Amino acid sequence: MPTITETATTSPIGRQTPRIDGPFKVSGTAMYASDFNFTGLLFAVPVEATIANGKLQKLDASEAEKMPGVRAIFHRANIGKIFRSVLQPPNSGIADERRPPLADDVIRYYGQYVAIAVADTFEAAKAAADAVRATYTKDKPNVNLDLQPESEPEAVETTHGRLKRLQSERGDPDKAFASAQVKVDQTYVTPAETHNPIELQGTIAMWDGQMLTIYEESQAVFNLRSVLAQMFGLPKENVRVITKFVGSGFGSKLWPWTHCALACAAARQLGKPVKLVLSRRMMFQSVGHRPRTQQRVRLGATNEGKLVSLMQDYLNDLDILGGYHENCGESTSYFYSVPNLRVHWGRTRRNIASPTPMRGPGAVPGLFATESAMNELADQLKIDPVRLRELNEPKIDEGKGIPFSSRHYLECLQRGGERFGWANRNAEVGSMKRDGSILGWGMSGAAWIAGRFPAQASVELRDDGSARVACGTQDIGTGTYTILAQLVSDKTGVPLNKIEVVLGDTSLPPGPISGGSLVTGSIVPAVFDAADNAITSLLTVATTEPGSPFGNRTPDDLAFEAGRVFAKADGLAKGVSVSDLLRRTNMRLVTGSGKSEGTLDEKKPKVSMHSYCCHFVEVTWQPATARLHVNRVVTVIDGGRIINPLAGRNQIEGAVVMGVGMALLEHTIYDPQNGAPINSNLADYLMAVNADAPLMEVHFLDYPDTDVNPLGARGIGEIGLAGVAAAITAATYHATGVRVRELPIRIEDLLTSSILA
Amino acid sequence: MAGLLTTAGPAITTLAQRSEKAEQELSAATKDAIPVTLHVNGQKHNLRIDPRTTLLDCLREHLHLTGSKKGCDHGQCGACTVHVNGRRMNSCLCLAAMYQGDEITTIEGVGQPGNLHPIQEAFVAHDAYQCGYCTCGQIMSAVALLSEPVGPEDAEVKEFMSGNICRCGAYQNIVEAIQSVRQSTNRQKAG
Repeated sequence: MPTITETATTSPIGRQTPRIDGPFKVSGTAMYASDFNFTGLLFAVPVEATIANGKLQKLDASEAEKMPGVRAIFHRANIGKIFRSVLQPPNSGIADERRPPLADDVIRYYGQYVAIAVADTFEAAKAAADAVRATYTKDKPNVNLDLQPESEPEAVETTHGRLKRLQSERGDPDKAFASAQVKVDQTYVTPAETHNPIELQGTIAMWDGQMLTIYEESQAVFNLRSVLAQMFGLPKENVRVITKFVGSGFGSKLWPWTHCALACAAARQLGKPVKLVLSRRMMFQSVGHRPRTQQRVRLGATNEGKLVSLMQDYLNDLDILGGYHENCGESTSYFYSVPNLRVHWGRTRRNIASPTPMRGPGAVPGLFATESAMNELADQLKIDPVRLRELNEPKIDEGKGIPFSSRHYLECLQRGGERFGWANRNAEVGSMKRDGSILGWGMSGAAWIAGRFPAQASVELRDDGSARVACGTQDIGTGTYTILAQLVSDKTGVPLNKIEVVLGDTSLPPGPISGGSLVTGSIVPAVFDAADNAITSLLTVATTEPGSPFGNRTPDDLAFEAGRVFAKADGLAKGVSVSDLLRRTNMRLVTGSGKSEGTLDEKKPKVSMHSYCCHFVEVTWQPATARLHVNRVVTVIDGGRIINPLAGRNQIEGAVVMGVGMALLEHTIYDPQNGAPINSNLADYLMAVNADAPLMEVHFLDYPDTDVNPLGARGIGEIGLAGVAAAITAATYHATGVRVRELPIRIEDLLTSSILA
Repeated sequence: MAGLLTTAGPAITTLAQRSEKAEQELSAATKDAIPVTLHVNGQKHNLRIDPRTTLLDCLREHLHLTGSKKGCDHGQCGACTVHVNGRRMNSCLCLAAMYQGDEITTIEGVGQPGNLHPIQEAFVAHDAYQCGYCTCGQIMSAVALLSEPVGPEDAEVKEFMSGNICRCGAYQNIVEAIQSVRQSTNRQKAG
């Protein structure tokens, strides 16, 4: 007989749930791509171009080839065929850098690979890569920081297909701005930022003559498969991508990069498994970054604070060949009520590697600009910035002309203000002091898309009382392993510690990319469908298979609850457990498949789905030492229903920490002489460390958004970063009187402050 | 957690066997290898390695103790933190051949699923990680911190843990986890 502990007594949905993969992560037994090892494994180290613009004149590998332990130096002449890949709409074959590695001798960015050394050990491969002599004809690289738009047509090709540069327009924004009683017209700049997940990117590639198998820390295993199948001219069934654990990505591991194809080609040429792990320097050069943005924002308002015009003209820089668009206008058209609006964008090509999405792509730099402008407008109007936002709260999505599925932004503001103590604010610059320091208070809001990608999953119920759920998505640190177990436990009553979750493998049912904060929202209906189908299968087994105590019943007579099958007429107490039923019928398992459609490609959506948040920030400013520190942050999130508040709170805190880095520390610097990212290490590219982290308080409103999925769960991976920097610059202005419009805030920016302690 | 077995690494008991095999292959491949004896997690390993091999690469690629991670190879991130004679060290900055005769402890020697160290348990309970990649280094630092002269305040723990970067930003939970173990240890001492 089953014991009471064998089934979960209450649903784990919404309960603080320690991660099921936690014991592996804390003990070194969680296997990340570069942790795998195979017999005969060889090591590869790429050779990087040391110019950013020019041509490879000569490559001399003769010395490197003779070094002990070296198997081969591959370059354009001997790497073998690597084909070009293209976008396969709607959601496959995506790559920001589509030029196959070593395709020609033109160098377009610093660190572009010109060769690859393969040897028996990492040490031998590194020494050989260093011994390859490359000579170049050099042209001056263009890494100019002042962005001017290229002359491009109004519709241009991007990584994701053709897009109009006039992103959104309504009313007559120029006329309304010209006649507005109060105006803000400012340009905001965000620098190139590098994702810098602590896990270095890398690939282990194996080629057996037919099948290409790779271990890679991918945020999108199915997309990687579709790109590699094209690049190596293989049916996609002959490519398998495995990603068990990802040492985070923040976007840098979404789309494939050239090192992966190089590792695959080397494995093909040598017939041996090849491991290629990038150095931290390479992580700054060739696996994407958030591009520099330059945004002119114009706000026109009445004296009472009602917006009459909003214009955002933004630019991002990008590489010579690519099509990356940093969508800074993502939330502009719907965040505020304003009758006259225009969002327009352009791009500027530079001798840099391709940008790629970085956490909250577009919206994060975009909201820094628009929310900073709102804060400046509030200061001009001398009204509370919270009040200004309340005055301009829209009733519907005015960009699309459709209602919001679930929007509780005003409640975010109210709750955040209460928790922070905003009512005690003295708006006068430099007026608030504590312990010899000046306090600065600031706030900001943010929004981020919600929705679903298409997803499939399978659920098995097994005779030992355990369950297995499989989905070809990834857990990049957001807690997807645990969420899947929670969903299956909720449906089947199987306790969390008896649920096996399998992710990150293209041999599984196709799952969503780990991007856009959309995994949780996407997988809920597919996993529920799979679990329901497994239960339906179980009830059929109960009525048809010899050995079942329900042989004289029909499936309609039966019910399933808390892990037990029972006749409705007899009640749950007289039911039998799943394991009992399967053992009696001599079955190991029943299985169910599930799938759900995506929402993002809907031509005419009926509702506008987004998450919302606000941040209230306190900084301290010590004029004597020009020290600025972020003390505390209160964040309120309207992110739908939160499935695991323990991991959820952590996500938001982590995003706020990244926002502190964005506001105060992070900046990839390109050397104007040679185009190299010169601070390409973790001592020179500063990121927030433990001592930089403020005291953080996170609140979830927890309103289910059932337009997204039956549980009402939206994603929360990115929203927490959006708006943080604008709140910090507002707090900095409040403390110092210095308005910083180009990130990061530097000490030298603040030296002009006349505020004394 | 039984459910995740398919995603977990090889059991620690098979490691010695695996490293011997890898060793034979390597000594054939690299004629400049030198003999090195390392004491790791209480086990003695006789190796032949390239003298350029860092302690981190030796642990990962030769002994297959992959819990120590490479994040920067420059001593800047802390993901490779191990203990050498009880003190925390960035193993990427150590040449393996220079640590013969020293007692080296890696995360695998601190605790394994089913027999976790209190700090490891606390990291799970407090969700003191996200992606988990820096986590083993964080835990090696946290375990060492327990016997370092650190004051009781959160601010001091934050300072002492600032050599370990967590790009996911789980810092607040890392501090909570460490403080929960320190406070319960103090309570036990007092009791």
